[in-house]
Amino acid sequence: MKKKNWIIMVVCAVLMSLVFIPAALAERGVTDTEIRIGQWGPQTGPAALWGAVARGTGCYFNMINAEGGIHGRKIKYFLRDDGYMPPRTKAIAKELVEDKKIFAFASGVGSATGMAVKKYLHKNKVPWVGPAAGSTHWAYPPTKYLFATYPLYCNEASILVNYAIKKMGKKKIAFFYQNDDYGKEGLYGAQLALEKLGMKLVAEVSAEVLDTDLSAHCMKLKAANPDCVINWLLPKQGAIILGTAAKMGFKPQWMTSSTLSDTAVMFKITKGLYKDVYYTCFAEAPDSPHPLMRKYKEAQEKYAPKDRWGIFFYAGFYFVEPMVEALKRCGRDLTAEKFIKAMEGIKDFQGIGPKISYGPNKRQGTSASFVGKCGDGGKFLRISDWMPSDINVKQVIKRAYNR
Amino acid sequence: MFLQLVISGISFGSLYALVALAMVIIYKTSEVPNFGQGEMSMLSTFVAYALLVTHSHSFIFSFIGALLFAAALGIFLEFVFLRRAKDPNILSLILITLGFQMMLYGLASWKWGADQRDLPFPVSDFDVINLGTAVISYLNIATILITLVLMFMLFLFFKYTKVGIAMKATQQNVMAARINGIRTNRILSLTWAMSSMIGAVAGILLAPIATLDPNLMLDPLLKGFAAAVLGGMTTLVGAALGGYMLGVIENLFGGYISLEFKSVVAFGIIVLVLCFKPSGLFAKHYVRKV
Repeated sequence: MKKKNWIIMVVCAVLMSLVFIPAALAERGVTDTEIRIGQWGPQTGPAALWGAVARGTGCYFNMINAEGGIHGRKIKYFLRDDGYMPPRTKAIAKELVEDKKIFAFASGVGSATGMAVKKYLHKNKVPWVGPAAGSTHWAYPPTKYLFATYPLYCNEASILVNYAIKKMGKKKIAFFYQNDDYGKEGLYGAQLALEKLGMKLVAEVSAEVLDTDLSAHCMKLKAANPDCVINWLLPKQGAIILGTAAKMGFKPQWMTSSTLSDTAVMFKITKGLYKDVYYTCFAEAPDSPHPLMRKYKEAQEKYAPKDRWGIFFYAGFYFVEPMVEALKRCGRDLTAEKFIKAMEGIKDFQGIGPKISYGPNKRQGTSASFVGKCGDGGKFLRISDWMPSDINVKQVIKRAYNR
Repeated sequence: MFLQLVISGISFGSLYALVALAMVIIYKTSEVPNFGQGEMSMLSTFVAYALLVTHSHSFIFSFIGALLFAAALGIFLEFVFLRRAKDPNILSLILITLGFQMMLYGLASWKWGADQRDLPFPVSDFDVINLGTAVISYLNIATILITLVLMFMLFLFFKYTKVGIAMKATQQNVMAARINGIRTNRILSLTWAMSSMIGAVAGILLAPIATLDPNLMLDPLLKGFAAAVLGGMTTLVGAALGGYMLGVIENLFGGYISLEFKSVVAFGIIVLVLCFKPSGLFAKHYVRKV
């Protein structure tokens, strides 16, 4: 009798597992009608300025859905506010992966927030394209499911250095940076670019994120008497240092990272001091006649009329363009493995940013940026073509993290 | 270099002094360090911005409007939240002020978003007077003068007006003050209003330099608190002097010793003062109210 029970139980178990197997085999986040994609982005808190990235991605997906989606599937988009707090990012990743069963993550603002979930996403085999930060954490060393589209901060810095010296004839460059990974990777990029030219920075000055009084910093910079200062800061300090320098009669050529490339805002908050500042940028100018830019702008007017058409908003489009391209290349039969293969097959793909290429062991899509200049009234002037960077990223990583 | 560091230090120190004053005024009556102070002045600064830029009123109108708003906000918070606390101990009161901080921060983020804004100010930070090797901007001068005038007014207020004296009485002994016919609840509301207004002035003076966003007072609040601890949480003059000292010490430290550790100086000072003279440098003696 006991044996019989046991046999019945085994049979039941086998039958039940048969019922569940098809579900287990189906791809997470992909159904007949939808592809589920998530993103975290600070809608509140100290970094909320970049919350526009996540809303931009949402607008992009709306546009694609309105065009009929991808191979008959609509993108279902989950945007969560993490307030730029890594613990919250972790909770969001867990919720979206385990509960909402998303297929992939798009973009996501922040180095610290992204680093908090990087391992988790890898372990759960969640594809992740276009983290919205240019640090080396994403693609070095390459990992299977993570693809970066943001040009590295060190590359941007080297492009600015080369532009200042070769095109503008500057001789003494100083570097003013935020004392964290963002600032330091920029710093080492500039150092390496200068070393290639047999030169050195004349001053390296750092600031803490919360510092509001930058007069001591400004004096240190001024004392080195540079003809060009490159800033690697956040907008608030980027504005404060320009004001402090103007007050002290310190007038070098200012340059900044793409983080401060929203010229309309920068011009306003610096009371016009931002005019003639040079900066790197990873996507077309806001008023670019590029057909994709015009199409995206229409999408913004239609789906996100309350948002401002600024660089950070359409960065949300740029960061995930390769993702959408790969989804299209996968065809109707979409799996994570197939998606990764399609991503690796992307070569010289260009949307509104530089040309992007991935490969089996290549996860950083590009090193190129262009140089822009702030014109009258905060106008965004593009003054160069896409320029790749030629520094060795491995050396930057060695200097920054000693690995 | 030295002169410039001192001048910049005094000018930022004035702002710390204002924040410290605002904190001390409340601390003396409510016995609670108000950690919502920064956000209260940030919100008032945003009100000034809304009146000035969004509704294009004159600067004076906006300034006064923001001060009135600040007063109303102070009274509101004290009346609606603090006064309702049943048998409050200091810790629960501190938690309430932290609650304000989050609430007001959220409110400002929701209403004005995270974009940096420029608060136009009639006095420029770029027009400067040369003092030998150093410069001082008109805005710096205005900041220093306004702070001094405010401090002088506070001094007169506490010394010569009936309300001021009543306030001092309430600070010293609530029960005795009440027995003598002082309406201590009103006095309490008034201290919150005053403190909030002083904070608002600090915010409005800082915003043209540091740009306006919900994080405006994050750093100045910490520095103001450090200044108040340095000078003494129970003395107005001490707290103000603490503000100036902190501004100057911080800048000299950054200029001559280490820029990397400049922002840590304030916290180092808190620790040192609490270890060696917990009542603060300028408090005459540490009296525990019974």
